[in-house]
Amino acid sequence: MYEALSALGSVVLDPYLLFLIFATTIIGIVIGVLPGLGATTGAALLLPFTLTMDPVHAIAVLATIYVSATFAGSITAILINTPGTSAAAATTFDGFPLAQRGEAGRALGIAVIASTFGGIVSVVVLCFAAPLLARVAYEFRPPEYFALTVFGLSMLASISSGGAVKNLIGGVFGVWLSTIGAERVTAIERFMFGNYELYEGLSFVPVMIGLFAMSELLVQSKMANQAAEYIKMKAVQLPSRADYKKIWKTVVRSSGIGTFIGILPAEGATVASMIGYSEAKRWSKNKEEFGKGSIEGIAGAESANNAATGGAMVPTMVLGIPGSGTTAIILVGLMVHGLRPGPYLFNEQVTAVYQIFGSMFVANIMFLLMGLYAAKIFARISLVPSAILWPIVFALSVIGAYALNSSMLDIWIVLIFGVIGFLARRFGFAVAPIAVGLILGKMVEVNLQNSLKIFNGEWWQIFTQPLAVFFLLLAFLGLCGPQLFRLVTRGSFDANDGQSN
Amino acid sequence: MVKQQIVPIVLTIVSIVIIYLALQLDLSPPMIVGDSMQPRAFPIFLMVLNLLLIAILAYQIFKTPPKQNEPINRVTWLSMVLMVLFYGLTVSTDMFIAITVVMFLLSLAWGERRPLIAAANAILTPFLIFLLFDNVLRIRFPRGILMNWYYG
Repeated sequence: MYEALSALGSVVLDPYLLFLIFATTIIGIVIGVLPGLGATTGAALLLPFTLTMDPVHAIAVLATIYVSATFAGSITAILINTPGTSAAAATTFDGFPLAQRGEAGRALGIAVIASTFGGIVSVVVLCFAAPLLARVAYEFRPPEYFALTVFGLSMLASISSGGAVKNLIGGVFGVWLSTIGAERVTAIERFMFGNYELYEGLSFVPVMIGLFAMSELLVQSKMANQAAEYIKMKAVQLPSRADYKKIWKTVVRSSGIGTFIGILPAEGATVASMIGYSEAKRWSKNKEEFGKGSIEGIAGAESANNAATGGAMVPTMVLGIPGSGTTAIILVGLMVHGLRPGPYLFNEQVTAVYQIFGSMFVANIMFLLMGLYAAKIFARISLVPSAILWPIVFALSVIGAYALNSSMLDIWIVLIFGVIGFLARRFGFAVAPIAVGLILGKMVEVNLQNSLKIFNGEWWQIFTQPLAVFFLLLAFLGLCGPQLFRLVTRGSFDANDGQSN
Repeated sequence: MVKQQIVPIVLTIVSIVIIYLALQLDLSPPMIVGDSMQPRAFPIFLMVLNLLLIAILAYQIFKTPPKQNEPINRVTWLSMVLMVLFYGLTVSTDMFIAITVVMFLLSLAWGERRPLIAAANAILTPFLIFLLFDNVLRIRFPRGILMNWYYG
């Protein structure tokens, strides 16, 4: 406990780390306000820049991007009715109508306060929940890990916009991508086509840059010449006492919802904000205001999406299972910097872990200050012409991908996965499941192999392990639960109909 | 009908090709594999699972056909062609020449009407990124016309 507290405190005493968080908060907000460039793309683009940094500093940079870009999406959602990130989509429902009424400053003030509160609550939960979960996960053996990873993969069904089946197909392809390279036990080369640069497998970073940044470039090219309607404002306005009175319950509730949803493997800020918004509406006494500029709607969506950031870090760091596209990149960052995600991290690198948590806390304070005093300036950045912005993204993508291994192959991987990602999105497949599948793929195969060894090749013995059965059951319910529920309720409705007839 | 089912068809072909390629993988001696599985087993299992999911997807599309996609627009095609041009220029000249040319053309393709602004962006951005990576991150870039001149 003392070690954890001193590590948290050491963040404030490390001027270089504070400077990095400050600079990255600015970059994160800029990335967040630029439509199309979200936290995931931003983290993918910045990852190569962290290569020479100390591991804690590097992960702090990525986590700060995550936190600040998630908040910043609300700035454009309110001012130009275009969510800077998908997590801010629910903020447009009430943020833009309120801005149209001439209260843009008030809307942004509510968004900043709600986001900060949600973010801080989730970091506090992260500090307490992560070590507890790590203690439980410490006892996991390969069968439990295998089942847990299957559960994580099953949650891909609801990870993002694509339908459940499409997401699962993407996830399975992602897992297959992880089989490229030399097999771990036998060293037999799989799907390498004679290219020995693939011996260690596909490098995660170029695949991420391709799937998130390069494919986004191609998606955005469709909107190359579109102009946004921009609402001017004087300054960000702090909520009044009446506003606080109206929103505090919503903020607390949505922060809890967001944190919980974030903790669920593969559920991210977008889902959290949608549920935070709908719950705010459900519990509100002023339901008729929703969609017309309700401050409760803004607060519900914003506190939930930022609360999900801390929540999503729990499975990422404790179990090595990313909670969203951005945490998938943070997970890659942990691996690249030699921090092995999983329960051992909490034994071997306690100081580093709590410094990362502390950095997230500081990042929340930083974006509060910047949101209050500089949102107006940041909002102007969203008007940078896409014809200037996206060529810069192209340059950052290819140079960043090359920097990791000094390999030209990585650049071609960026371009190939950019086109694959674009085509996938065009046909309604989300790219995040492919990325998460790629990351979790090795974990599934290795733990399955180890389980088979433990049980002398008798795979069904996995089902004799209570925790493994629990996770597999959760996976089954996650995949088939909604359908079963629908069947059961339809059956009971039919029975009721029959009785009434 | 075939047009609507194009995605499941393509995915099925890809899955079958992967199964075929997996079947061509060497078998490892039982002494090494032990109680574990052959290297080909996992990818084959994945693709069989995928074929099941693709069958469900095909059924879903059959039941509720999705909206027809708009054709890919000119700017997107141009952007993809520029990626191919980037490959060609990198291989034949220099990565930074390729980035500059592609950035400039990308700006114009995306509707930038001020060639000077596009050119300034195309020259300054890679130059600044290069300075950062070369001086701070100590990355050595692939040799080409410019890099040979710079590295000597």
